[in-house]
Amino acid sequence: MKILKTISIASLAFALASPTLAEVRFSGFGSLVAGQTLEDDEKLNADFYDVGQYENTTTFKAESVLGLQVTADIAPDLKATGQLLAKGTDEFKPELDWYYLTYQAADDWTLMAGRRNIPMYYYSEFSEVGYAYPWIRPPSNLYWWQVTQFDGFHASYDFSTENYTNSVTAFYGNEYSNDNKEMLYYAEIGNRQLNNAAIVRVDEYWTDIAGFNVNVIGDSFDVRMVYFRNDRKRIDTNVNGETAIRASASGFSQQFYGVGGNINIDNFTIIYDANYVECDDDVGTVFPTYLISTVYNIGQYQPYLSYSKADHWQTKSDNENNYEEHYMATIGLRYNLSSTASAKLQFDHFEDEGDKATGWDYHGNSQTVSAAVDFIF
Amino acid sequence: MHQTPHITLYSNSVGESYEEETRKKIVLLASTLLFSSLSFSDMAVIVHPDNTSTFSNAIIKKIFLGKQTKFTDGKIVIPMNASETLPTYDAFNDKVIGKSRTQINAYWARLVFTGKGNLPKILSSDTDIVSTVSVNQGAISYVDSSSVTDKVKVIANF
Repeated sequence: MKILKTISIASLAFALASPTLAEVRFSGFGSLVAGQTLEDDEKLNADFYDVGQYENTTTFKAESVLGLQVTADIAPDLKATGQLLAKGTDEFKPELDWYYLTYQAADDWTLMAGRRNIPMYYYSEFSEVGYAYPWIRPPSNLYWWQVTQFDGFHASYDFSTENYTNSVTAFYGNEYSNDNKEMLYYAEIGNRQLNNAAIVRVDEYWTDIAGFNVNVIGDSFDVRMVYFRNDRKRIDTNVNGETAIRASASGFSQQFYGVGGNINIDNFTIIYDANYVECDDDVGTVFPTYLISTVYNIGQYQPYLSYSKADHWQTKSDNENNYEEHYMATIGLRYNLSSTASAKLQFDHFEDEGDKATGWDYHGNSQTVSAAVDFIF
Repeated sequence: MHQTPHITLYSNSVGESYEEETRKKIVLLASTLLFSSLSFSDMAVIVHPDNTSTFSNAIIKKIFLGKQTKFTDGKIVIPMNASETLPTYDAFNDKVIGKSRTQINAYWARLVFTGKGNLPKILSSDTDIVSTVSVNQGAISYVDSSSVTDKVKVIANF
């Protein structure tokens, strides 16, 4: 995949250096988000992957983000795209988050190669673009995975019927997430050790990620279905530099199933997403999750309510149900400041229903207020 | 209108004031018809004169939402939007697409930032639009009906 990265960057650089040969387009998005929990001992994971958290003092760093996209037409049917992302959780240090080539193989066939988000949940591929959805964030207790991106290939076939616009996308790739931020956070809060020494680095590998999306868009609704599978491996490194594969999180595969979409009825938009992750590990781990949200569209205002639930079972264990479990209930309002900017105010109640006896309630309950301005340019 | 008009118009016994009122009503009716017909056809969707494809409101909508990339004659579509500063931009979104500026932008933000669509090109005046469409076989755009010339083909009026 390093070759791929080099090719896309080289293409971008070539395109940027040769304005007479390629059309280059710049666009971008951003969110300035401030928030805090209401009580002293409360904490909310607003961004699991990048460990963006709210505590009882106001911060802009948990979720604020600025993205710049550059797209260059490098040949008649070939373009290169790069997305530079600066996030508050990374001290706004810009990173080239996405870089990929798009080849229009035929009118209805599109091929993409490079680094992109894994198309897991309905909002996974544009979860950073706050302007594109009503809430301040897609419910963070569903978007909880430690791996969200991968290097890979996509092939999409688009077809239309009289009333529907459809596409099927197959994808394949790998992600070697060295020094995974979310996994290190869990190791730290859990005082996890290897050979009696603190773990200071966790590598998370998802390999042979292979699956497909099906999208059907009608006039007043859309449905997206997803399936993919991947192999899992986790490697711990302790403070003495010793490493070991973590058996409980390695050597098995997982399957991800999901169906989500929107339904528009008069001024109401109903958003739904139901997902089921199944691991073929020894204990039969499954993660059922779902989201249901209602948005009322009235002029420039969009008040909304949502409920999202995440659960964790071990179907082959005597103790089947007592693991991680939480829901998030949200009320908020979006107001469109202009056709390219919106302001949002949101209240989240996070209820941790994890098993207390075994420490699976490690997130804790919280109530959080956040406010945002989202924009595109 | 349940009274027979020619009786009220030509009967001397009715008196001049009644005749005057009826005349006003006719003028009012005529002007209502005139203005409503003007607002009904104040925007024209235009393509290159050689474009022989078939169009419907649904096809035009799909083209401008990036869901249809070919005309029925097989040629690649190049949709072009009017600048947001032109009145036709909002009129087109309202009458043809059925979405507000914000909804349209949110829709495109998702496509553009996931690499699954390119925003239609934007042209800043009706003159630009007509001249661009007149020389591009795949172009489709919309202008105020008064800006249409014989160098482009009108496929729909709104």
